[in-house]
Amino acid sequence: MLTPLMLGQVVINGISLSAIYILVALGFTLLFGIMRVVNFAHGSFAMLGGYALFYFYGQWELPYLLAAPLAAASVAVASLVLERLVFRLFYQKMFQSMIALLGLDMAITFTALLVWNPYERSVPTPLDGVLSVSGLIIPEDKLVITGVAAVALLAFWLFTRFTRHGLALRAASQDLEIAQIQGVDTTRLYRLAFLIAIFMAALAGGFYAQTYSLSPTMGERPLLMAFIVVILGGMGSIPGVALGGLLLGFSESALSTFYGSAVSTFVSFGVVFLLLIFRPWGILGTPEHE
Amino acid sequence: MQVTSWAVASALVVASAFTSVAARADEDLKLGVIAALSGGGTAWGLGLQRGVQIALDEVNASGGLKVGGKTYKLGLVAYDDQYNAAQAKTAVDRLVQQDGIKFIMGPIGSPGALSSLSVTQPAKVLQFVDGYAPGILKNDFNAAYIFRVDNSNLEFSERIVTWIKQAMPEVRKVGMIVPNDATGQAAVPTLTAAYKKQGLDVWVDFYERGNKEFTPVLLRMMAQNVDLFDLNSASPGDAGLMVKQVRQIGFKGKVLQAGGAGVDEIVAIAGPLANGFIKYDVVDEADARTKPLVDAYARKFSGPMNGMVPIYYNATQILLEAMRRADSLDTTKVRDEVEKLQGWNTQLYGPLRWGGQVSYGNNHQIMLPFYMKQVDGKSIRVLSTLQPVD
Repeated sequence: MLTPLMLGQVVINGISLSAIYILVALGFTLLFGIMRVVNFAHGSFAMLGGYALFYFYGQWELPYLLAAPLAAASVAVASLVLERLVFRLFYQKMFQSMIALLGLDMAITFTALLVWNPYERSVPTPLDGVLSVSGLIIPEDKLVITGVAAVALLAFWLFTRFTRHGLALRAASQDLEIAQIQGVDTTRLYRLAFLIAIFMAALAGGFYAQTYSLSPTMGERPLLMAFIVVILGGMGSIPGVALGGLLLGFSESALSTFYGSAVSTFVSFGVVFLLLIFRPWGILGTPEHE
Repeated sequence: MQVTSWAVASALVVASAFTSVAARADEDLKLGVIAALSGGGTAWGLGLQRGVQIALDEVNASGGLKVGGKTYKLGLVAYDDQYNAAQAKTAVDRLVQQDGIKFIMGPIGSPGALSSLSVTQPAKVLQFVDGYAPGILKNDFNAAYIFRVDNSNLEFSERIVTWIKQAMPEVRKVGMIVPNDATGQAAVPTLTAAYKKQGLDVWVDFYERGNKEFTPVLLRMMAQNVDLFDLNSASPGDAGLMVKQVRQIGFKGKVLQAGGAGVDEIVAIAGPLANGFIKYDVVDEADARTKPLVDAYARKFSGPMNGMVPIYYNATQILLEAMRRADSLDTTKVRDEVEKLQGWNTQLYGPLRWGGQVSYGNNHQIMLPFYMKQVDGKSIRVLSTLQPVD
């Protein structure tokens, strides 16, 4: 029963889904691009971002525009302890990092279960209404996320193109040894990349918790989505995240609406499977040997 | 002299302490618990564990369980099944083979319950499960050592649908969104038949557990012009998101859940968008019989008390009463006494009813009265109390 209105709604759902996926995957791809670390604890940092926002905005009632970045920043700064104790041991060690960070993910999740309880709860949103435009329904909370994702993507792109630190990050991701010879302080650079990546994960986690729900185990889904997005777009590629997020968001919206969620899941994973066989570096990524 | 008095007094204190311990408990008796203690079903799993724990604590506080001339201090051994069949099988193997447990509470959910049968039934381990699949009771073992301690679809669907027909005559077409697993697949035929019997059209769509974004599927269902969404066997977390998202895409009709247990968690997730949501539940917190359990839960635990707490508190009380009456821990004797408890006055639900002969070929299905509740602003009110169909 395809009507123009329904098609419009599919597009709107696709945009909002894509925005969430892009936001979640940005930090994940950054860590891989610079440090060759597959951060399987990514979902846990997103979860911590959700709890931080719950306290900063939901409990302590700070203004939202202050609470959202402050919550993400607090998680990122506190996580520097883990950068020193865990992550630093696994930089440029892709396979070891997978297993170690999977363990870290479990440790953070189960600590969260002890600190909080397992029950899912909501994080209040500053905008929880629904906009109706010519019959199309747009939830305001998803509109906010779409805006934030667009700004984050642009900020990321500008940072890596036009700032000194951003250029250093790109240089290190392309050839670490040459970057070091040119005087790039990789320890400081890694710390900066880690801080930005965790900030993005926590920010995305806050929005994710507001859009869906908050619980110690909420990180599983964002991790899975981030992984699919970066495999589609290309590990370590920022434009790849944008493309991967859009592909996944729009295909899920359209396929679930017209064929049901089983077909959507099957196709999403099927595409990832084929891509891993025929183009393992992703659509916009670069092969390791180049 | 003074030293002697102190020595005598100390000896008396120590002796009396030992005597009182001996009077309270000769041995430990452990019940097994298999529940989701991590992952998406954790809230239900903890509800099960906590319901059992409260019932055991009460008996321990009154001096322990007296059976066969001994007094037992009760405890539990819990294993996580992550709400899946493989982990449930591992958990039941450990409980039965390694720990020598003879009485097991759980698992919750059809996949885990079905996978545990092949271990517990040949070993004559008495098991109290929850899960909607008919195969849990209708199987090659004829449910010899297993009881279902919660209503399944077969018991409540027809009553709920009849009630819907009377309370909401404007409803013509129902959209059922169903988890794509054994629990969901068990729910569909029963509920669909019940709706069709009342002359209602049904549209069914499946979703994968773990998914958080239901908007596209809900939109697809809305395009079928459904008047009522039935969330049937969705977990509280999923149901909360569905309630929220179906309102966010502009659905104005009724949203109802004919299944599951617990309303508070759904409201916690959907927030104000839960207003008007109608839900099957297994406990009326305002009932005076429930108050001691509600108070005990609040004293011991944090977070909302979901429906698994009363279900397994009740099941544990039934098991312990059967042990007392059997005056034995032999599982066959206890099983026989559980069957004979028909009509025993349970604390939460009144006279105990076992049924299921027609549907499953045995009377190991509990028949619990249940409630249709509605979220009304910040409160939850009982719209109707219904009795299951045997």
